[in-house]
Amino acid sequence: MQAEAAIPAGAIPDGLIEPALTIGRVTPGSLDDQVLSFPETRPPKQWYLALAITLTAALIGVGCIGYTFYLGIGAWGNTSPVFWAFDIINFVFWVGIGHAGTLISAILFLFRKRWRNAIARFAEAMTIFAVICAVIFPLIHVGRPWLAYWLFPYPNQRALWTNFRSPLLWDVFAVNTYFSVSAMFWYLGLIPDIASMRDRTTSKFRKVIYTVLAMGWRGAATHWQHYEKAYLLLAGLATGLVLSVHSVVSFDFATSVVPGWHMTIFPPYFVAGAIFAGFSMVVIVLVVVRETMQLKNLITMRHLDVMNKVILALSCIMGYSYMMEGFTAWYSMNEYLHHSFMNIISGTYGWAGWLTISCNILIPQILWFKKARSSYFWMIFVAIGVTIGMWFERFVIIVISLHQDYLPSAWRIYKPTMVDFGVLLGTFGIFFTLVLLFARVLPVIATTEVKAILPDAQPSHHGDDHHA
Amino acid sequence: MPETSYAVLGLFNTPDALMQAIPKVRASKLGTVEAYTPYPIHGIDEALGLRRSPLGGMVLVMGVLGAITAFGFEYWISAIDYPIITGGKAASSWEAFIPIMFEVTVLFATFTAGLGMLLLLNKLPFFGHPVLSSKSITGITRDRYALALEAENDAFDSAAAARALQEAGAVEVEILPAPDRSPFLTSDYIMRTLGGIFAACLVSGLAMYFATKWFPLLPPMKYIQDQPRLNAQKASTFFKDGHGMQPPVPGTVARGYLPTATGTQEQAASLLNPLPRTKAVFAMGHKVYVNRCEVCHGALANGLGSLTAAYGGKPANLQSQQFRDYPDGKLYWAIVNGKNAMPSHAPYLTEQERWAVVHYVRALQRAQNAKDEDLKVVAP
Repeated sequence: MQAEAAIPAGAIPDGLIEPALTIGRVTPGSLDDQVLSFPETRPPKQWYLALAITLTAALIGVGCIGYTFYLGIGAWGNTSPVFWAFDIINFVFWVGIGHAGTLISAILFLFRKRWRNAIARFAEAMTIFAVICAVIFPLIHVGRPWLAYWLFPYPNQRALWTNFRSPLLWDVFAVNTYFSVSAMFWYLGLIPDIASMRDRTTSKFRKVIYTVLAMGWRGAATHWQHYEKAYLLLAGLATGLVLSVHSVVSFDFATSVVPGWHMTIFPPYFVAGAIFAGFSMVVIVLVVVRETMQLKNLITMRHLDVMNKVILALSCIMGYSYMMEGFTAWYSMNEYLHHSFMNIISGTYGWAGWLTISCNILIPQILWFKKARSSYFWMIFVAIGVTIGMWFERFVIIVISLHQDYLPSAWRIYKPTMVDFGVLLGTFGIFFTLVLLFARVLPVIATTEVKAILPDAQPSHHGDDHHA
Repeated sequence: MPETSYAVLGLFNTPDALMQAIPKVRASKLGTVEAYTPYPIHGIDEALGLRRSPLGGMVLVMGVLGAITAFGFEYWISAIDYPIITGGKAASSWEAFIPIMFEVTVLFATFTAGLGMLLLLNKLPFFGHPVLSSKSITGITRDRYALALEAENDAFDSAAAARALQEAGAVEVEILPAPDRSPFLTSDYIMRTLGGIFAACLVSGLAMYFATKWFPLLPPMKYIQDQPRLNAQKASTFFKDGHGMQPPVPGTVARGYLPTATGTQEQAASLLNPLPRTKAVFAMGHKVYVNRCEVCHGALANGLGSLTAAYGGKPANLQSQQFRDYPDGKLYWAIVNGKNAMPSHAPYLTEQERWAVVHYVRALQRAQNAKDEDLKVVAP
């Protein structure tokens, strides 16, 4: 285009110039020195303090799970007709947290959003840890977890097979696939970084471990070619997968006939909610990591700003979904559905319904202001609010729908026990314990990916999107 | 060259310098040109003349295979091997199979992409590559860009290669000697091991299948429902007369239907008392006699029981010569069938109890007609 060519490079309007993704001068070497040195140094005292807190929480959870095994599911508040309660709420909650990681690492990769490179590694790690926390709940909810392998279709002497028309079996496949694919994606991304750590470490012990983990990666151009192709394919596959996993989770509810569950909006509504909750968790963790690990030049306020914009957009989608739920209840003229919806806004658990709406829809609207998006206080406030709100959203969906269904004589108020809260606390402990360990053992930023988008990282004569 | 060298590495400080050097080094035609970089460089594939990665095709094939596998598995289980009607859908309805088909497709495709890239295309893990033990590797995985001229045959001239790289702008040159020992854990080794295990499983599985199918000498345990059997009203191919249900062997007696004391009393005379004369038998006979017989026949079996006075009946005096001469069988017949006014005692006396009573009656008869010799027998 002649008209475009006529404009000199310096004449691009300010608003159209992509701001730099790093602050100050960052070179591939300085990046390695900054990021890969964490595993080589002793953690500060605060790290040990944080680990002590999270490990205590994790141990409380393990104790509560052990008590559940000893006593049975009766240790929880679950009772007729609310047979699904904290266990399934927490399962859906944690699987949802994981979805942000896959969105950042896969979907934003396909969209060529280069800001994702600095935060993708941490988000992917959080995906894996969140799925680990999520898987705990179905396992302990089966009551006899030592028989949980019965969930898989395998030839057995009882000549029984699993029911492939059950959404719960779809869940087994979806969550296992999700975990395998996330782990594979994460590990492939780590290989070149581990190779960098292998070649810079002076400790023999670390050298052996990194050598094995890096599989002899040597950065050959022929390898990079296949590697990039594999990464692109994995991103494409994970994109479809992340959309399917929470859809399948929503099928657990949507394919049933319980009023309040039986709605076609559930799959997209669940996926949006999952990414919403996950992004909030990523913001919370990134702010802490950015401050405590001196990564301000790599995880910039711009990253957080973009993340907050995504949260705002998802909040609006959630608001639409909530309104659609109400609209469906009204427009269907189905008295059961109507009753179920009225329970959300005015029933015994009406406070939970309003807490959900306030935390997920009202509070994130602060992010319309640029000041809020660049303020730690407000973004943490919103993120914690969304985390609480999204947990209560699952509470609303599961408990409110179940506690009053078609048979009024079976209605009952559900009350969780201390063991329920203990297990929930425990999974938070496990999650943050794994996050803390990860932050000190593996590169928290995908150095290889960030190197590739640094200024002057690519040959100047090639490509058109690499303005220095 | 006296020593064999594997390759010559030239180091560059910027990707631009590397890209500019590649055509020059390739033009020298001294060996295979390979680049080692800390991250993927745009356009280096074309510069090095690399062929397109075949990974996409591999992933497509395996993904389709995953979908077919999942569908076949689900269909076989849900419609053929274990058909259960759920939600009123036909056993063969396939719509509900889609979510798992999708997940398995992604699973197959992902592992093909990840492991196919590592193990098959990149031949990793490979810990014995000369570049890994070079001095330059710390720069290659950090911030330097290396170009290698790799030996294609014994005629490789490392000095000329080093010169060519320096002329192309390399700031440092390193000659890599050929590795002196073979690497221990390579992708080939892993693939061969995995392939061997897979082949062994396949062969032994098929062998087991056909062994149990062709050699039914040791049939595996079968479920009752599947066992070979003859259903009701079906012809037998085993028996000559074609009847599945054969009549019993002549003379067979059903349990509890021993044909004793059926005919007349005279016919029963030949029956022998099967019980031995033991204390236990006499005790049993005594008990039954007291319960069943004494009220009419009397404690001494002389026909003067307590009921006879009340009713004016005349029960048999078992002490009379007629009954003392009776064979055991005739007494037994009378107990079983009854006689005159006496009803049958068969319904509530077992075979043994009847014969025990016969023994006891004999003892009563002998006691009332005892001789001197009898005392001798009892005396120790």
